[in-house]
Amino acid sequence: MNLKRKQYAAAVLFLIPAAAIFILFFYVPFLQSIYYSFTDWTGVGRPKFTGWTNYAYLWKDPHMTDGLLNSLKMAAFGLVVQNPLALLAAVLLNRQFRTGSFIRTSFYLPVVVSLVVASVVWGQMLQYDGLINAVLGRFGLESVTEDWLGNVRTSFPAIILLTQWQAIGYCAIIYLAGLQAIPQDMYEAAEIEGARGFSLFRRITLPMLMPAVTIVLFLTVVGALKMFDLPYILTNGGPGTSSYTLFLAVYNAAFKDNNYGYATAGGIVLAIFIVIVSIAQLSATRRKEVEL
Amino acid sequence: MNGSKRASLTLEIVLILAALLFLLPVLYLVVMTFKEPRLFYKPLAMPDRLYLDYYKLALGTSFFRSMFNSLLVTVGGLALTILVASMAGFVLARRREKLFLFFFYLFMSGMVIPTVGSLIPLFKLASLLHLINTRTLLILLYTAGFIPFASFLYSAFTKSIPRELEEAGSIDGCGSLRMFWVIIFPLLLPATGTFILTNVYGIWNDFLTPLIFLNSPDKMTLMPTIVQFMFNKQSTNYGPVFAISVLAMLPLLLLFVLTQKRMLRGLVMGSVKG
Repeated sequence: MNLKRKQYAAAVLFLIPAAAIFILFFYVPFLQSIYYSFTDWTGVGRPKFTGWTNYAYLWKDPHMTDGLLNSLKMAAFGLVVQNPLALLAAVLLNRQFRTGSFIRTSFYLPVVVSLVVASVVWGQMLQYDGLINAVLGRFGLESVTEDWLGNVRTSFPAIILLTQWQAIGYCAIIYLAGLQAIPQDMYEAAEIEGARGFSLFRRITLPMLMPAVTIVLFLTVVGALKMFDLPYILTNGGPGTSSYTLFLAVYNAAFKDNNYGYATAGGIVLAIFIVIVSIAQLSATRRKEVEL
Repeated sequence: MNGSKRASLTLEIVLILAALLFLLPVLYLVVMTFKEPRLFYKPLAMPDRLYLDYYKLALGTSFFRSMFNSLLVTVGGLALTILVASMAGFVLARRREKLFLFFFYLFMSGMVIPTVGSLIPLFKLASLLHLINTRTLLILLYTAGFIPFASFLYSAFTKSIPRELEEAGSIDGCGSLRMFWVIIFPLLLPATGTFILTNVYGIWNDFLTPLIFLNSPDKMTLMPTIVQFMFNKQSTNYGPVFAISVLAMLPLLLLFVLTQKRMLRGLVMGSVKG
């Protein structure tokens, strides 16, 4: 009995450091942010309770609404363009090539390049006298050249394209892992049944890949909602509010305008979106796993 | 047979071209750092001699101090996480009492809850604790953020260790802490390796946290330093900015090329939990 109690006490001791750090620096601020989102807190003085005022104002603020729209656009582009491309890349990379490791490394390399360094190099490439326009000029397409990041129509699309440079490789990694986990004998069995080429892909590959698909969709959407570094560095949300993301709008409301209460309300809306997507992803993955 | 061989070769060539397209921005970044100013704004021109002045300029700034700060918070954040999460993950896997179940779910919820809105109250909390503009705060914040994933990883690995080992240890009468660090922790090394290789990039490349919580140049890590370097003047002189970017990227690119396989495995494990 005494030994049992001793062991329990020892186990609690093992848990305390992690629990303390996590609660103090993760949970407490999170719960506080819910409270602050209903106040007019500006960092000085006592916060006054203002009910739903912050939330009501979010929908009237072009920084927030354009930010949310852009984040959703980025997510949608990820679903429609990046996803199929990453899957295609993974299917092709899954074959045996002599130069396979070079090809794979090149695809994955952008994943570990920081968004800051990516912003530096792409920012310069996208400038009026940068590489992109120089290449277009070389092919006689001067009419298409553009100050890509300084134009309301092209600033955010340019940022979305930049994200693809890193996201396609990242998603292809996960798809490739999913492909390599599919047992070879399933294909053999299907081939005996007479399935070939695309019908093999449709009947075996795609259903078996479903868990990977939901993970990639989830990462794509959450990544788009959390996007901050690129618009902050490249355009600061401009021109106008054309390249704001929701996170950038929240950051500026907090650390530029000191509207802490209002900014946390934006943060909560963002968090709600992310939680909904997470739960959808988890339940989808669960269901698929049951089917397998 | 011959036809399919040719098709395979064509496909390989197409893939190599696509791969080069992906490599292009990185190659461009490196090549540009050796181009003298008169060629710099002719993007398609190649450097005609090795021009090293940008690197001299970049190294003349606070580069080494920033590099040291980045190294400090990266090593510190990873080490503290490993220290606390390995112990926590171990007992979370071994104990079935309510308290441990509760904390297991509390930690897991941290994987879903985004910290976006929490940054602002954190700022106040950090002021209260006199931690604003300290590297200690960064280490604590990274640790808090990694605890969910790391304890999950350690608890999953713990389940593969036979219990007899612990019992053998307790009969010998060594204290439970010593038993853990001497017997169990070495067995958990694969989890430690996976955790480090997957998350070292996240801290090294982090821009937002130091941007918010640090304000003096002598504490600043690499990423905000690069951005300040870029925003410094009315018109950016990209040469030195490119050079400092290459230097900041180099250690991790080397690490990635050397440990690619393991890191990818870890990435997939990490992504499964979302």
